[in-house]
Amino acid sequence: MILSGLVIGALLGFAMQRGRFCVTGAFRDVWLAKQSRWLTAFFVTIAVQSVGVFALDAAGVIELGGGAFPWLAAILGGLVFGFAIVYAGGCATGTYYRAGEGLIGSWIALGGYALSAAIMKHGPGAPLVDALRGVQAPVGTVHELLGVSPWVLVALLVAGTGAATWHHLRRDAARPKPVQLPTRRKGLARILFERPWNAFATAVVIGVLAIAAFPLSWATGREAGLGITTPSADIVAFLVTGDVELVDWGVMLVLGILIGAFIAAKGSGEFRVRVPDARTVLRSTGGGLLMGVGAAIAGGCTIGNAMVGSALFTLQGWTAFAAMLLGTGIAVRLVFGARRAGSAATAPSPVSVGA
Amino acid sequence: MTVHVLETEGQVCPFPLVEAKRAIAGIPSGDELRIDFDCTQATDSLPRWAADEGYAVTHFDRTGDASWTITVQKP
Repeated sequence: MILSGLVIGALLGFAMQRGRFCVTGAFRDVWLAKQSRWLTAFFVTIAVQSVGVFALDAAGVIELGGGAFPWLAAILGGLVFGFAIVYAGGCATGTYYRAGEGLIGSWIALGGYALSAAIMKHGPGAPLVDALRGVQAPVGTVHELLGVSPWVLVALLVAGTGAATWHHLRRDAARPKPVQLPTRRKGLARILFERPWNAFATAVVIGVLAIAAFPLSWATGREAGLGITTPSADIVAFLVTGDVELVDWGVMLVLGILIGAFIAAKGSGEFRVRVPDARTVLRSTGGGLLMGVGAAIAGGCTIGNAMVGSALFTLQGWTAFAAMLLGTGIAVRLVFGARRAGSAATAPSPVSVGA
Repeated sequence: MTVHVLETEGQVCPFPLVEAKRAIAGIPSGDELRIDFDCTQATDSLPRWAADEGYAVTHFDRTGDASWTITVQKP
């Protein structure tokens, strides 16, 4: 029943669009605004998922394996991916859901990402990816490395994330509440399509969907959780080969994200075909292409590695997560550092219109 | 009092916020800055920025499908 992937994807796309859940924004805020509010929300999805997934493993519903640790690929690919998402204006999932909002720049980034991921996974780039991923350390997970039960790590993660979330919730409560858009709808329509979602509530919803992804995907023979890069590459491969074997739960998942985000945006009056300027087109193209290369090398994007791999305490997940965060920092310096100095500024200046 | 207009349509996040921060630094106290934008995430980040900085929001509304406007006053 690969159609359950379409449902999970649609719910995910809906939640991400309504919750304004953007991993690129979360990583970028750390460097640009020196804020960790959205990064903390991202950690909430990891922590929630970690509890659920290890419980599923303990119950025998799924079986988590160790594997090796392709450390060189995790570092290199993570750096490239983290760098690329700043230029693409969103990570892989962010690009899917913004494409659903009608942003042509995201359609371009998405095309570039899927194409380059396919080139690196199925095409002439595969030997390079294989060579980089062949540089491995024998132990694949943090708990194996430390020789402890994964539940020790789950407990630490939950405690740390809980404390950080508590800090941010208290800080939010102590500050003046941000002004909201005027209310226009009532009842269910308001709840679904108008009321702003809290960042941490959105994170919990996404974490729960990420847990549900495991048994549902497992049942179809795809033994993994949420993943974006391999399905994106598989779509391209399917389109050029006609091999229906490639159309699996993951392909349904990413198509679902697009559909769910479109429904959320359309329903809330936030869908419009938006044409980017020339500079954004260039950035989206370059960023998208690099994103596919980075994700293929790293073995996953911000979802597959930083969100799912981290929840499973794989060394690849956490290493790629750190490398992505660093890559984002480097790109932020290049993009926004130059902008601050004024060399890349083409922004409109304020115009006085009188009182 | 003067209203300064910053048009950021077509710019993806975080550019509307980055530009707004720069624009408000350049206007006199008491003046208002109107930011027109079409990046969805800015419906969260701009009012939050205004609240955090203590700027009064005098107007915040939709202007069409995926179009918004927010006006903040520099104290």
